[in-house]
Amino acid sequence: MTDRRVPLTTDGSAGTVRTPAMSDAALEDRALLDRAQAGDMEGFEALVERHEDRLYGLALRMTRSEADAAEVVQDTFLAAYQNLKNFRGEAAFGSWVHRIAANNALMRLRHQRVVDAVTEELRAPEFTERGSLAEVPEVDWSRRADEKVLDEELGRAIRQGTDALPQGYREVFLLKDVEGLSYEEISEMMGISVPAVKSRLHRARLALREEIDAFYKEV
Amino acid sequence: MFTCKDSIHSLLEYVDGELSEAQAAELREHLRACPPCVDFLQSYKATPKLARRALVDDMPRELAGKLKAFLRTKLSSK
Repeated sequence: MTDRRVPLTTDGSAGTVRTPAMSDAALEDRALLDRAQAGDMEGFEALVERHEDRLYGLALRMTRSEADAAEVVQDTFLAAYQNLKNFRGEAAFGSWVHRIAANNALMRLRHQRVVDAVTEELRAPEFTERGSLAEVPEVDWSRRADEKVLDEELGRAIRQGTDALPQGYREVFLLKDVEGLSYEEISEMMGISVPAVKSRLHRARLALREEIDAFYKEV
Repeated sequence: MFTCKDSIHSLLEYVDGELSEAQAAELREHLRACPPCVDFLQSYKATPKLARRALVDDMPRELAGKLKAFLRTKLSSK
């Protein structure tokens, strides 16, 4: 089977131009990047320290393997360093390395792709014959999303629910809802159509919503 | 007749603002008469927000140390 995914650009040119309204964090990144591009290794190490946790989190959730996640992060920073001179800074440094990491994780997983075989395992709401919801939501937990502190048990349930998603659904969910990539970017990275990306995202959200709902029914 | 199943099927496009005006009007009409679907919509929208907060994993410090050492070795030889 042909792998239709295309390598991600490593010059940052696909990102958004944010210069007029850069956040403080992006401005600090920019200053460190200038130092790193001038050959200052400490500047680059500071960038690594600022982004390693989030990159690791993304890689861990995508690969579900600490060893693979560590290698994804390592490969990502190596690739970033090797392409520093080509990075034009149109995208934020953070967005750029996140896209490299996501692509690295996808490439690592490509031989384990079994999306179609496990579709039926996704949880989804059930309906009556007339198309009404079979179960009425018992608890309105939607406001919990805005609370300052996330319940530890809930966090664990969400992580387990995400890990339990079939690979292709988990990847789309993480890239869109956690990393904030566009449908088009995900379509290009994963080699699937935009409608397929949307379909997977919707089903992943429904499945995870069911997991969270089940959590609140149990507590 | 527009059902809960139709409503939930169209939530992604509704949240993205990509339904046609006619489709959005049909969904809104259903929501006005169906509190369970309103709750469902709220929880559907809350799911990514909760996930973003839950899926933060710090890199273990030992691993971060190894990464730094690896990069120093690798990059100093270039």
